[in-house]
Amino acid sequence: MTTEATRHATTIAAAIVVVALVALPAYVGQYTLTTFIRTIYFGFLALSVGLLLGQGGMISLTQTAFFGLSGYVIGLLGTERGFPSPIPELAGLAAVLLLAFVFGLVVMRTYGTVFLMLTLALGQICWSFVRQNTSLLHGWAGIRGIQPPSPFGLDLTQHAIFYWISLAAFGFGLLVLWRLAESPFGLALNGIRESPRRMSALGYPVFWLRVTAFVIAALYAGIGGILAAWSSGIVTPTAMQLSRTIWILLVVILGGAAHFWGPVLGTVIAVWLDVLISQLTPRYNTVIGIVFVAVILVAPNGILGVLEKIGAAGTGPGRWRRNLFVPRAAEAAPPTHGRGGHT
Amino acid sequence: MSKKVFAALVAAGLMAMPATGFAAGDSITIGLLSAFTGPFASFGQLQKEGAVLALEQAGYKVAGKTIKVIYADDQLDNEQAVTKAKQLVEQDKVDVLTGLVSGDEGLSVGSYMKGKNIPVVPMYSASEDMTMREWYPFIVRPTWTGAQPMDVFGYWLARTKGFKKIYMIGEDYSYPYNQGGGFKRGFLRGGGMEVKTIWHAVPTSDYSSLIGSIPLDQGYDAVLYNGAGSDAVAFVKQYVEFGMQNKIPLIGQSNTFEKPDLDSMPQEIVSAYSAHLTADDLDTPNWNKFRDAFKTRWDHSPSAASEFAYGCMNLILRGIEAQKGDVTDKAALVKAMRAVDMSDEPRGPVKLDEFNAAVENVYIRQVTLGKDGAMFNKGLVTAHDVSQFGPYDRAVYMKQPADGRTSPPELRSAMPAEMLQVAKDYEFVPFGK
Repeated sequence: MTTEATRHATTIAAAIVVVALVALPAYVGQYTLTTFIRTIYFGFLALSVGLLLGQGGMISLTQTAFFGLSGYVIGLLGTERGFPSPIPELAGLAAVLLLAFVFGLVVMRTYGTVFLMLTLALGQICWSFVRQNTSLLHGWAGIRGIQPPSPFGLDLTQHAIFYWISLAAFGFGLLVLWRLAESPFGLALNGIRESPRRMSALGYPVFWLRVTAFVIAALYAGIGGILAAWSSGIVTPTAMQLSRTIWILLVVILGGAAHFWGPVLGTVIAVWLDVLISQLTPRYNTVIGIVFVAVILVAPNGILGVLEKIGAAGTGPGRWRRNLFVPRAAEAAPPTHGRGGHT
Repeated sequence: MSKKVFAALVAAGLMAMPATGFAAGDSITIGLLSAFTGPFASFGQLQKEGAVLALEQAGYKVAGKTIKVIYADDQLDNEQAVTKAKQLVEQDKVDVLTGLVSGDEGLSVGSYMKGKNIPVVPMYSASEDMTMREWYPFIVRPTWTGAQPMDVFGYWLARTKGFKKIYMIGEDYSYPYNQGGGFKRGFLRGGGMEVKTIWHAVPTSDYSSLIGSIPLDQGYDAVLYNGAGSDAVAFVKQYVEFGMQNKIPLIGQSNTFEKPDLDSMPQEIVSAYSAHLTADDLDTPNWNKFRDAFKTRWDHSPSAASEFAYGCMNLILRGIEAQKGDVTDKAALVKAMRAVDMSDEPRGPVKLDEFNAAVENVYIRQVTLGKDGAMFNKGLVTAHDVSQFGPYDRAVYMKQPADGRTSPPELRSAMPAEMLQVAKDYEFVPFGK
């Protein structure tokens, strides 16, 4: 197949997917729609983790704190204090930006394992705070009764309308990320991932570029958190807890952290796996855990990594591939973890 | 075909996967949402066993309709509870939602279910506001509120045991607030002076600092552990390991010494008091019939959670039967459930008040060593016809702030005068009368 034909087919396929997604409320049940809404708000969280991991090579364990924070702010200001929309939402995002900036100043001085441990510590501090603060945040019980607003007379309590708004926001978010990946900023970030020292020598403000990436990523998590709070009507410390943090990291790796579409694909699969398997067996967490372990053992580059290899056999490198998590040189080298079998 | 096109088609096919809601008609769907994993897994499991027993006795059939039950596990997580409730409502199209083992779980799901036009029958979830300040007519709770047995307990301890000061350590969430609130009201009204209150996060496994800071020289008559499940087992074990039960006796909230957790506790706690709506040595024909059937089916004794679930499921089934299997009109179904005669409830006769909450017997119990070497909760005295408002006037009770970390107050001197005086207080009769 020629490159042009491939591109043509990709365009057609993309168009089919977009039409199928937009028309979704017409042909699926209410719960399928609810699950897609969940996919979208967790998708935002996955994009947040994916941006840092795929573009910047940074494993951050703080992103769920931003996801929870925006939910808590709209619960506190909107539901409990009665401020009209969009004040709680804007305040929520502002809080996320501020906290991400402050955290960024601390964590972006570090790399690798130290970075991982610092982000873990900050995320856990946020989680402990919301869990133990009962006077304002109601501790373990969380804030319930959160209602979505009605912007421009749109009734967001209607599933279809909520879905379309979320989908539009997600589409816009993806577009921004796509442009970001191609921008000088995105390329600089990739450079920092490969060699911060060299980028610094070239005159790039490495520290501030990383802080900016952290703030942008936090914003995505914050938007996801608002959608999640609107949709479920409740925000609890669960939003921030470590198991959620690890889960979203696994989701991104499952899809393929090195690929632009990896976080999205990972979220779609993980959310649907949860819904479908939990109907079959009460031990669904075990099954999902096994799937994650299997994927990471067999295909550390995720599902898109596998698809790419299969595709590479016939048609050359896939066009969808945008950003490498694994450096090209390292990828070309034989696997070092001893399992082998997927070169 | 290009692999990409194929992949896109697979994706589109995934999306088109229809919701698996099945047509109503010959079957009625009941959603049972509870915590089958997490810190209260033992309660969730016992609850399920009680519900299954009632369903099996009915042969999963009522008025010619097949009863289909869908179980959903929320892991005792409020966010997960709402997510699963959504699944039950939107996908499974349940006709009745029941289950719910914990306080906040009930309030969260109750808040989500508001306006859904589906009867909600909480089994073990006991935050009083669900049938009080946040009540709506589709909630039917033929079981209990946290304050209900504890008001009786506190009053009894102050009146008949002469206790003046209690040191209470509790789990920091709504159900223990409500249990502690009921206890404080009853205890201070009965003549007690102080209920010192300490809260800890859920779950906690190490209680050494909490236990170590209990003052031994300030005249506390007892330590009340206001928690349950795996937290209670850990607390009680450590309390005994520290040798504390020789210095200050330990008492519990309704669930602290419930089976099967009681089986994991050291025998040093024998003689500890608690209050609940069941006792392990109830000896009425209704209870014995239920207990024997339960033991035959599940090979162990029932707990309060099993009995409550059994009663709730029977109430639902009888309501459906009264409607001749037609559950399309949910308001009529609630009305039919309200009209069900629950005088044959195993734990004792139950009536519903205007908030669809139970009016029933409360039993004061004492942990006792049985002949078989296992501990059980032996009934001591009974208070009849206890409502969720205790002995208080409803208007006076509702005027008070909802139970929380700091309300009601710890000291008798800080308690509003109207909460220390009631027209008619409980009368205690010997257990079994």
